[in-house]
Amino acid sequence: MPLIRTEGLTKAFGALTAVNGVTLEVEEGSLHSVIGPNGAGKTTFFNLLTGQLAPTSGRIVYDGRDIAGTPPHEIAHLGIARSFQRTSIFPTLSILDNVWLAAFARHDSWRGLAWRRADRYPALTDKALGALKDVGLDAKATRPAREISHGEQRQLELAIALAASPRLLLLDEPAAGLSPDETQKMVALVRQLKGRYTIVLIEHKIDVVMSMSDRISVMHFGSVIAEGPPREIQRNAEVRRAYLGGITA
Amino acid sequence: MSHPASISRRAPWLAILAAVVLLPVFVRHAIATEIWIFAIFGLGLNLLMGYTGLLSFGQATFFGSAAYVAGYILKYYGTNVFVALAAGIVVGAVSAAAVGYLCVQRSGLYFIMLTFALNQMFYFTAYQWTTVTGGEDGMPGVPRPSVLGLDIHAPLAYYAIVAVLFLLSLWVMKRIVESPLGKILQSIRENEVRAEALGYDVRTMKLAAFVVGGAFSGLAGVLYAMLFGIVPLEAIGFVFSGNVVFATLIGGSGSLYGPVIGSFVFIWLSESVSTMWARWPLLLGVAFVIVVLFFRGGVVEAWARFWAWRAAPRATAVVRPDASH
Repeated sequence: MPLIRTEGLTKAFGALTAVNGVTLEVEEGSLHSVIGPNGAGKTTFFNLLTGQLAPTSGRIVYDGRDIAGTPPHEIAHLGIARSFQRTSIFPTLSILDNVWLAAFARHDSWRGLAWRRADRYPALTDKALGALKDVGLDAKATRPAREISHGEQRQLELAIALAASPRLLLLDEPAAGLSPDETQKMVALVRQLKGRYTIVLIEHKIDVVMSMSDRISVMHFGSVIAEGPPREIQRNAEVRRAYLGGITA
Repeated sequence: MSHPASISRRAPWLAILAAVVLLPVFVRHAIATEIWIFAIFGLGLNLLMGYTGLLSFGQATFFGSAAYVAGYILKYYGTNVFVALAAGIVVGAVSAAAVGYLCVQRSGLYFIMLTFALNQMFYFTAYQWTTVTGGEDGMPGVPRPSVLGLDIHAPLAYYAIVAVLFLLSLWVMKRIVESPLGKILQSIRENEVRAEALGYDVRTMKLAAFVVGGAFSGLAGVLYAMLFGIVPLEAIGFVFSGNVVFATLIGGSGSLYGPVIGSFVFIWLSESVSTMWARWPLLLGVAFVIVVLFFRGGVVEAWARFWAWRAAPRATAVVRPDASH
């Protein structure tokens, strides 16, 4: 059973068709990567899944219901969480608050919303600390988020998504802008998450995804030009022409 | 969510309590009363401007509407003080819900212009509707009825009532900004897209900030009408809206006590210096420039920086008291 699938998903900005008839299935519990050169439409594809953009046409079926055009805040409550390619955090709030806010959003009841002190939700604080522990930031919980390094902010970005206890985790280039060392750490982190969540991973660096993906879809000029397990993708001539060749040749 | 030592958490309250007790000793009672009324007004704006990042240039809409409605029922129906206060709070909240609903559809400059334009609409309605509001002459003859048999005509008695309501307002606002809602509003100020992606309906949350802010403005409006016994047309005008923004910025927007300090500085300067020197707004202008250039967090930030500098004279670290204080 796929947890999410798209059918002919299309997004046009005027004359530019950023996402063109993408049909894709993501199996529950799998790690499915979407790769492609810059400008292939990967992030636009994510923005459609999370409701930041409404599709021009096509369907997005999540857990048996069509969610195309649903606003982002409702999508979040369906159990879809994302990380952003360009770090998107709350800079002056503490690291713990950054994560806590994600946990509170998905809390089953908002009792005490405007009255109970935010630090009197022990279960949520534990959950938030747990997400920070997963990415190794628990020791810095009280620091303002803008004070940590770029690499740590990328980890925080991931922790915010995890604290929402998602069923579907959409990761948009989690290693963007990281040094080789930090990239190694991030890859190890994502590998740990594999199996615990259904993950769709956008990546620009192809070597990162080859070893850990269950399936890979290759996007080029808005369309999926190839899909399959990593080994197949590596052999695919079209992919090499469009993507690998463009980099290595 | 870190907590400093409990002494430093109680210190602001002790300072404010001392100010409440001592102020009428040093300052004319009417001015002292006005300071706390304006502080309540500022608390409401601060939730919007400081915590949610919504610069509302139309807070007088809610202040003035509440003052007119409460003034009217006090004057013509002889209602008791509690009914008048409740009516003012409700009028403030409802008018803020209506105005806010329109304003949160837009952001940035368009948002600010909408708050301003709607304020002007309310202003001209009050200006034209002379049979009710008295137009340019204002609505005179607002009575100050007894509270539970206690006569509050004496300036000090009225001061006491206002001071208690101010402390109550401050406590309520403290609870709100420390609640999940307070955190959510700050997250919207910091990063709307992310807040939305986490599952918060940003428009509804902004509207909630408007309604709460409007309720505080409404309370302040009623107290203002009963203080001077008149609702002047200016109470619903844009200058009034500007003044509260100004005072809050000077005190420190985004920190709980900022608008309280700002109100003190603003009202005290305008009421005491203005009698000595007609060009007193110059002084305010200078204060404003200093705040904008050097202390974006107002007096509260200047204070925190001073203590950080005292504690570590060599370090050049800049401590900015954030909303999460």
